[in-house]
Amino acid sequence: MMETLLLALLGALKLAAKLLLIVVPLVTVFEVLRYHPIFRRAGRAVEPMMRGMGLSPQAAVPLFTGIFLGIAYGAGIIIRVAQEKRLPGRELFLMGLFLATCHAVVEDTLIFVVIGGNGWIMLGVRLLIAFGLTAALAWLWRRKAGEE
Amino acid sequence: MAETIPDIPTRLRTGFIGGLQTSLKLIKFVLPLYVAVDLLKKTPVIDLLGELFAPLMQLFGLPGAAAFAFIAAFLLNLYAALAVMAPLDLTPWQVTQCGLMMGIAHNLLVEGAVLGSTGARGGLLTLCRLLIAGVTGMLLELGHRLWVG
Repeated sequence: MMETLLLALLGALKLAAKLLLIVVPLVTVFEVLRYHPIFRRAGRAVEPMMRGMGLSPQAAVPLFTGIFLGIAYGAGIIIRVAQEKRLPGRELFLMGLFLATCHAVVEDTLIFVVIGGNGWIMLGVRLLIAFGLTAALAWLWRRKAGEE
Repeated sequence: MAETIPDIPTRLRTGFIGGLQTSLKLIKFVLPLYVAVDLLKKTPVIDLLGELFAPLMQLFGLPGAAAFAFIAAFLLNLYAALAVMAPLDLTPWQVTQCGLMMGIAHNLLVEGAVLGSTGARGGLLTLCRLLIAGVTGMLLELGHRLWVG
């Protein structure tokens, strides 16, 4: 019995060590690289995609905060920006739909990669679904309301 | 985004501390839950309850016991789900499947409230997440079966 407990504890500690060894270096690299001009250019490149999802450029900061930091941690920024900019209800729901399916993508993907998952599939499919659904809803909603 | 760009040493420190914080948060869930599930695995409890969920989990190509990981993901968070999954000996494909579905739908109580507080309809969005996760999981499993043959 004691041995079983020790084995379980050892397995748990191994997993904990693996998490530390993978998560800390990757988060550090991400933090160092994230101010690189390439990311700013990428930001401009996604503008047409945002328009496709019915989102105005004002939604960019809360959207990207959510995508990278997550809803729970990015909540402060999302709520504040959403109120300041007074995003219309339609855009708030569209952004909510995107973020509901797709947020904190770096961390979420990483922890499943640690135990053997395929990060590219998890990340790619999630982004694709979030984008597809939001764009589809934006298109439907626009037609129904007959607004710009 | 008008922000000042911190210098490299600051970024290194921020990243290192951020990574440590994430890891510690993870480990807080991983240690007790992993030990609990690993010990339960030695008893018939997991097998019995797993059988109950097997027909549902089969839709996604997962063993019945994976249901525990989903419960942990929906009610708590992904760290808890990870800790439950780790001792279950899932294949890499099954981990990917779980990771994708749980990535879409997790921490539903807290995040539903947060989404609601931004002025969007939290309840409706939470329902959407569960539906999307389910449909995605089934489609991915279908694709996987066609691919592998």
